[in-house]
Amino acid sequence: MTEADSDIIKPEMLKAYVWLQTSDGSIQQVEQEFAMYCPFICQEIQAGMGSSKNYPISLPPRVNPAMLSLILDYCRFHQVPGRSNKERKSFDEKFVRMDTKRLCELTSAADSLQLKPLVDLTSRALARVIEGKTPEEIREIFHLPDDLTEEEKLEPIKNTMDDPRIRLLNRLYARKRKELKERERLKTAEAEEEHADERSVDDLLSFINGSNEDSRGTRTSKTKKKNRKRKDHHKTAPPNCTSTSNITSCSSNSVNMDKKELDARHSMYSNPLLHGKLLTDVCNATKLLDIEDDGLAAEDEFDDCDLDDDIDPALKEQIDREVEDFARRLNSDWPERMQEILSLGQQRRPLQVTINGNGSLRRFTSLDQRQK
Amino acid sequence: MEEHTGRDLISELPQGIIETILTKLPIGDAVRTSVLSTRWRNKWALLTHLVFNDRSAIQFHDITALQHIIVNFVTRFLFLHDGPIHKFSLCTSYLQSSPDIDQWLLFISRKDVKELILELGEGEWFRAPSSVFSCKNLTRLELVRCELDPPPNFKGFLFLKYLSLQQVLIPPDDVERLISSCPLLESLTLSYFDSLELTVRAPNLKYLILEGEFKDLCLANTPLLVAISVAMYMTDDIAEHFEQSSSCNFDKLLGGVPNLERLIGHIYFTKYLSIGNGRGRSRITYNQLKFIELYQVSFDDMKEVLVVLQLIMHSPNLKALQISGSSNTSGTMRSPDSEIWDEKFSIDCTFHKLKTVKLTDVSGVPHEMKFIKYLLERTPGLEEMSITPGLYVTDKRLNMLIDLVSFRRASPQASIVFIHEPV
Repeated sequence: MTEADSDIIKPEMLKAYVWLQTSDGSIQQVEQEFAMYCPFICQEIQAGMGSSKNYPISLPPRVNPAMLSLILDYCRFHQVPGRSNKERKSFDEKFVRMDTKRLCELTSAADSLQLKPLVDLTSRALARVIEGKTPEEIREIFHLPDDLTEEEKLEPIKNTMDDPRIRLLNRLYARKRKELKERERLKTAEAEEEHADERSVDDLLSFINGSNEDSRGTRTSKTKKKNRKRKDHHKTAPPNCTSTSNITSCSSNSVNMDKKELDARHSMYSNPLLHGKLLTDVCNATKLLDIEDDGLAAEDEFDDCDLDDDIDPALKEQIDREVEDFARRLNSDWPERMQEILSLGQQRRPLQVTINGNGSLRRFTSLDQRQK
Repeated sequence: MEEHTGRDLISELPQGIIETILTKLPIGDAVRTSVLSTRWRNKWALLTHLVFNDRSAIQFHDITALQHIIVNFVTRFLFLHDGPIHKFSLCTSYLQSSPDIDQWLLFISRKDVKELILELGEGEWFRAPSSVFSCKNLTRLELVRCELDPPPNFKGFLFLKYLSLQQVLIPPDDVERLISSCPLLESLTLSYFDSLELTVRAPNLKYLILEGEFKDLCLANTPLLVAISVAMYMTDDIAEHFEQSSSCNFDKLLGGVPNLERLIGHIYFTKYLSIGNGRGRSRITYNQLKFIELYQVSFDDMKEVLVVLQLIMHSPNLKALQISGSSNTSGTMRSPDSEIWDEKFSIDCTFHKLKTVKLTDVSGVPHEMKFIKYLLERTPGLEEMSITPGLYVTDKRLNMLIDLVSFRRASPQASIVFIHEPV
């Protein structure tokens, strides 16, 4: 009799199964040997749970059915002993190719099941997502609220050493804060006020492009050298020129600033502690200098800026080199700046149509001011 | 721009995972997360594993400016940091000895540090301050290019498991004292020591890596040793010293390691072992020894061949053997000491478990061919033997092949691969 019984029992039925209950109440049956890869499930089995449908193992709340199936895929692959390290690595690489939302959920679920290798893998993937991106990009990817005040991002450095470079930096900050207040005011003011920007962004940029041919050339090559993926790749060229013109003007103005000083100023920017805060805002400052010339006119510092040909070639070369260095520092910010510029341009486009003649006149006057 | 339609999932992950993620970023990026949002303002400051290296270094023309940046960054980082620091790793070629580093180490030593890794640039070697010795809970210490001078009342790192000293200037007595005062030591790496006489007493030691000129090497109390890798340099002084010594190096080094699983010897290792090696001495059996890798074995020297034979004869469970010949063989074709081989061949000794044999830089000298013949006849389980002749051995290759083909093989499934790259 027993022999007949054993004939009927098929090999598959001898596999042990455990019953798992996910956060939404649904119960699944899973091969025990794969589920045992998770320490949490292992412990529960040893405590006697999961052997039948009536006593399933309750998985922690962060494990929903979708995550569970992913985790089980992972366990199924790695539990098999005969795989080479190379196979495992390539499986892992393919496994983590998913959107960041799922990555976060998976990390959370794997952590609650104490599956450390998977937590490591997903953490590494998340780190790769974060690495090298600007704060704005990171915020967008992970839907983080931008709830730090501008002040908090802008905290100026206390100049205890009376360093001229820090003074310059603080002045930039002061200007930036002023611009912010200006912007706030202008936003609430009447529409006619807003013609500082009526010329289209493209016009502006092409003007600058025309005057800074070589810098732009070197800049794009430099950005292309960076191997970060950029969604808006083609947009990198114009913003470079935008800041180039300003940086050129800065440099030419403070011509006596030797290279070391400029590099040292870069050092402040590149100091990672300040980087995030400084970067956005020095960039903001330079962008605003370009677009809102009204604010520019008031400051003496940048009045003497020549955009190009009055500088002698040797100096221009030095400046270009400094500019390259500086721009490399600010490089990571271009796409974000570009987006801002474009969004500002879009806001103001309807105004341009109505105030055309006035606007162009305005444009030339402001230029004259600069060239004085 | 996109509104926040998605949920902020990442900020809700537990701090442990956030730390794992932030540790996998270059430290500059990790600090930059402080501007992301209010919740992220201080997540970076709770990191317990701090790794400062040149990965996030910016290319600068001016080295002093870069040094200034690095020093500033680390100082400010430590100042703004909150909580315990379990790991501090500083590997940068731009910094040399400086008082800032001493201050950082003092700061770290107060923070319950467990792992300390220091590798500074070439130039003036850094002198480890006494605060290093007051890190009571160290489990891992790696130092490269520094001067170490343990104070006289130093009792040892009671929890140290992993010690690695490379290019470290330390008084010779203090090395032994340091090793023996770390009772839990499991892994020891000593590199680039000059003329060191070393006796290792470490009851829990499992992994030993040595590289340098050793006048005398003795493993006195290392019963749990599982893997040994030695690269023995030899100067003329040391060679002379050996000629006068009467002790048996083989016994001193490998006499007390019954649990050895892996043995790797570079450069003059076999020569070192062959000195003072009397024949017919009883040796311990290495029951766990599965992998032997020996480089620069000079098959001209019968004594070195004897060492190799003794090693494999006392390792019944040997699985893989890799021997690289010495490329500077004397071209003299002395008649081989064939009596020794007759004796060896007459002893009934089979290597049942040996599956893989790899011989590189084979020059085809008589002892070598006899050795290959010896192996082939006694390895019934052999799966593959690969032979790569030395680059400059051009005329002997055909003879080698002829000999190889004529040897008897105990293993029917053995494949012999002669790797021949056209010269």
